Amino acid sequence: MPRVFITGLGFVTSIGNDAATVVDHLRSLRHGLELYPPFQAPDIPCKVVGTIKGFTADSPDPEDWTFPAAYSIKRELLRSMAPNGLYAHCAMLQAIADARLTPPEISNAETGLYAASGGSPYLTHHHHERLQKVGVMRCSPLGIVASIVGTLNFNLVAAFRIQGASCGFSSACASSAHALGFAFDDLVLGRQKRMFIVGAEDGNRDAILPFAGMRTLSLQTDPGLASRPFDAARDGFVGTGGATVMVLETEDEVARRGVTPYAEVLGWGQASDGYNVAISHPEGLGSAAAMRLALKASRVEPAEVEYVNAHATSTLIGDISEARALRAVFGAALPRVAVSSTKALTGHGLSLAGVMESAFCALALRHGFVPGCAHLSTVEPECAGLNLPRTTEARPFRTVLKNSSGFGGANVAVLFRGAA
Amino acid sequence: MSEAAATPTPPNKPVALAPKPFAPEDEVTLRESLKRCSPSTFEAAIQFRKTGNPEHVPAVVIGVIERFVEPDLRVKLKDADDDLRLIEDLGIDSLTMMEIVILVEDVLQMSINNEELRNLRTVGDVKTFIDCKVRGLPLPKPTKFLPIEHIGSVMPIQPPFLFLNEASVSSTSASGKYKITGQEFFLQGHFKDNPVMPASIMLEALGQLAVLYLLEGAPAEPGKRVSPQTIFFTGCEGVRAHRLCKPGDILSLSVKPKRMKMPLATFEGSIRVGADKAVIAEEITLTFGFVDIVEAPAPVAALPAATAPEPAPAAPLRAAVNA
Repeated sequence: MPRVFITGLGFVTSIGNDAATVVDHLRSLRHGLELYPPFQAPDIPCKVVGTIKGFTADSPDPEDWTFPAAYSIKRELLRSMAPNGLYAHCAMLQAIADARLTPPEISNAETGLYAASGGSPYLTHHHHERLQKVGVMRCSPLGIVASIVGTLNFNLVAAFRIQGASCGFSSACASSAHALGFAFDDLVLGRQKRMFIVGAEDGNRDAILPFAGMRTLSLQTDPGLASRPFDAARDGFVGTGGATVMVLETEDEVARRGVTPYAEVLGWGQASDGYNVAISHPEGLGSAAAMRLALKASRVEPAEVEYVNAHATSTLIGDISEARALRAVFGAALPRVAVSSTKALTGHGLSLAGVMESAFCALALRHGFVPGCAHLSTVEPECAGLNLPRTTEARPFRTVLKNSSGFGGANVAVLFRGAA
Repeated sequence: MSEAAATPTPPNKPVALAPKPFAPEDEVTLRESLKRCSPSTFEAAIQFRKTGNPEHVPAVVIGVIERFVEPDLRVKLKDADDDLRLIEDLGIDSLTMMEIVILVEDVLQMSINNEELRNLRTVGDVKTFIDCKVRGLPLPKPTKFLPIEHIGSVMPIQPPFLFLNEASVSSTSASGKYKITGQEFFLQGHFKDNPVMPASIMLEALGQLAVLYLLEGAPAEPGKRVSPQTIFFTGCEGVRAHRLCKPGDILSLSVKPKRMKMPLATFEGSIRVGADKAVIAEEITLTFGFVDIVEAPAPVAALPAATAPEPAPAAPLRAAVNA
């Protein structure tokens, strides 16, 4: 079975649009949350968002968008993109440069791309409104590919001339973790030798506000207090958008190209709660099962795990479920496993979360630090017993487990090990 | 679901030449629709919407096309002739064509259906098409692409003296290609140890393209067609050769009728090799004549039997064809 390594990363996130800035935020625990101007209307009770800086994509016309001058994107490509496609395109360019891939290494039958985004509710809304207003035959010819779920893979596969496996994943907040898991499988099975994993979200009004009806969004007006996973005073999650791209390659490709990987992907597991369409299982049944399967597949004992990057989104029910699942899986080893949720810094990236936080783990392994729990003052009593470091610890470590959970009770766990 | 389903072509309804009064809010909408076009495009559109005068249409159409062309290719449109090709020269794909159509529909308040779009290959095709739509005239015959088999079957000139590999013919022009293979018999002596395509042969090739235009593109009188046996060379003016053409070169030929009145047709013609000008002919004049179109005889089986008192029933045959 070939081993699989992470060889490239690209970021457009609320805590930075390049790896160095992201590392800086993870080390210093500086968040990327702000009072989001479109939410400051009196009839919108939630105010804070993990905003993307340096980009504007708040028009339905991509030619109005602005992005850092380092990126040049032709109208021909822009016109079919959603805002999340713009973020992902830029993150792709970073990941390609980071992995030092040449065009033939990107475009061949053994290099694929798995992507996850919730589509673009913003553009769907716009194009449907136009259809009603100006007539069926005058809606934009690119409206569908710019807005439906799948827009991310359609656009990236065409723009980067991907010829291997391509697919979109849709398990809500577990989507890009699923994408990572199945990409790993394709590499292990010898179907592909290199995979791009992409997660991206618009992170705008139409993507975030629909969660308000479920009362899962934080109503905090202080950006420094809005996202605080495992804290007794948490009151819901903070939405965010952006994109992350991860390059996975087989050990043969790593050796042939002579690149230094960030980390090895050891294995993954998934399991479902079979419980509720939107509420996580109170005991974290599916999450615990996913972690156990991931550990077994990776041939790793719970006691070997040094850090867990939790799914914890700062919601009342979800954080407790995950804490119970961690307690069940790690048992006596629990006090030695550092646990933190970097959503305290970024906000919750929905479909983007799994791969973004996996990429944070890769950075932590390479640079030797364990990200701490930002904004945590009083630990939720139900989460007692977890080892929740309040600051980022600078220390080399080897093994990390990443949790992701989504609607319908979908749970994914992935294990990474430092490549050194 | 990769392609829109084909829809039957509805009759070409002319745009009402008496436009509904142009309201101030229409101007706001129009300005928003054309915000990425040049100010002159907007001006032309507003004039058209206020007056219905079709003279403003070409400026609107070119302005809209320009807006969708990548900036580095827009210079081609600045002094473009009508032969500029949408796909090959301007990089417009079928989706961009749809964007252009939707904006033109929106601005000129007309509807264009899918079928009508298929034949638009050049800037000239688009201008003529929109002009006909606006004026309510019948649409021109589409540009026909003719492969070598078709050229050989209609031309009075045959190999080894036929110098066209492929051609496209419309009602306003013809273009063609010929690759100099090096196997042409006359290159053995023209020149000694130095094969160069004779300028006279290049003029001949332009003449052949003009013959093809007369046979396949020229509008004829009702019930008549141009007879291949009536076409001959009469004269030429202002012929200049600019470039040596050798084996391996691909000659891009084009001719355009300047005057046509039985029995004389005068063309201007040019040959390029890549971006290089090779030959210019200010005038090439041919004679031609019409013959009556004789309907091809119906298949014997469909003819009424000479002795039968009643004509053979048509219905079963039609049914068989439809089956």
